[in-house]
Amino acid sequence: MNLPEPNAPEATRKLRVTPPPDRIESQPPAEKRGAWYLLTGVVLGLVLGLVYAWVLNPVVYRDTAPAGLAEPFKERYRSMIAQTYAATGDLARAARRLDLLEDTDPVYALGAQAQQALAEGQPAEAHALALLASALQGPIGVEPVPTATLPAVPTRTLLINTPTP
Amino acid sequence: MIAVGIGLGILIGWELAPVRYAESGPHTLRQDYRTDYVLMVAEVYEVQGDLAMALAQLVTLGDGSPAAMVQEAIAYAQEAGYSPDDLARMLALAEDVAQLNLEGG
Repeated sequence: MNLPEPNAPEATRKLRVTPPPDRIESQPPAEKRGAWYLLTGVVLGLVLGLVYAWVLNPVVYRDTAPAGLAEPFKERYRSMIAQTYAATGDLARAARRLDLLEDTDPVYALGAQAQQALAEGQPAEAHALALLASALQGPIGVEPVPTATLPAVPTRTLLINTPTP
Repeated sequence: MIAVGIGLGILIGWELAPVRYAESGPHTLRQDYRTDYVLMVAEVYEVQGDLAMALAQLVTLGDGSPAAMVQEAIAYAQEAGYSPDDLARMLALAEDVAQLNLEGG
């Protein structure tokens, strides 16, 4: 065997060879790689969890309240309340039913839907919705009072004598 | 960590941001709300007497027959102690709907 001498300059040069600085930085330490693996695991799990919860086994709605209805059905429910009020005139009951829809501004919701119904050519529904909106703006249970009428005051008539023909 | 992610995903998907379907309609309503809906139909029917409109309004409650829906509502109303007037309204509607079914064969 022809082994190099330990003190030979060639051997020393080979031992001192180190990788260039850019190669050192491109290899992350084990801890850094571990953090990335954890994050990737969480993201992967999150995606799997969402696919399961939204697609494979989504929440099934049962025994919902009117506030949980989809918007078109909420509108139908609101319209039903308004039509019932138009038929019965029971404002207190209509107000209680409207509360179930949990509208931020029930009067505005009724007004907007009335305009929509009118635009869609449903004047009866629009009238019922507008009627309820209008009633809600006044105090509940107060019947409209006719305005006072002043007693009739006879006006003075000026008699003018005209010549008879 | 994947298990943590899955748990987080299910929490978001079921609790924080559950998927909402467009068909979460009146058929998903709780029985007391369904009964009140039927009562509204009965109240309007009592005044207007339009059975076709009443049936159309009842159909929105679900796929079942209108007669069955009204009967269910009456059963619940009796159990829950609705006023005699409200019960009478619903019974009148049930009678006319049943009559229509008999006539229709």
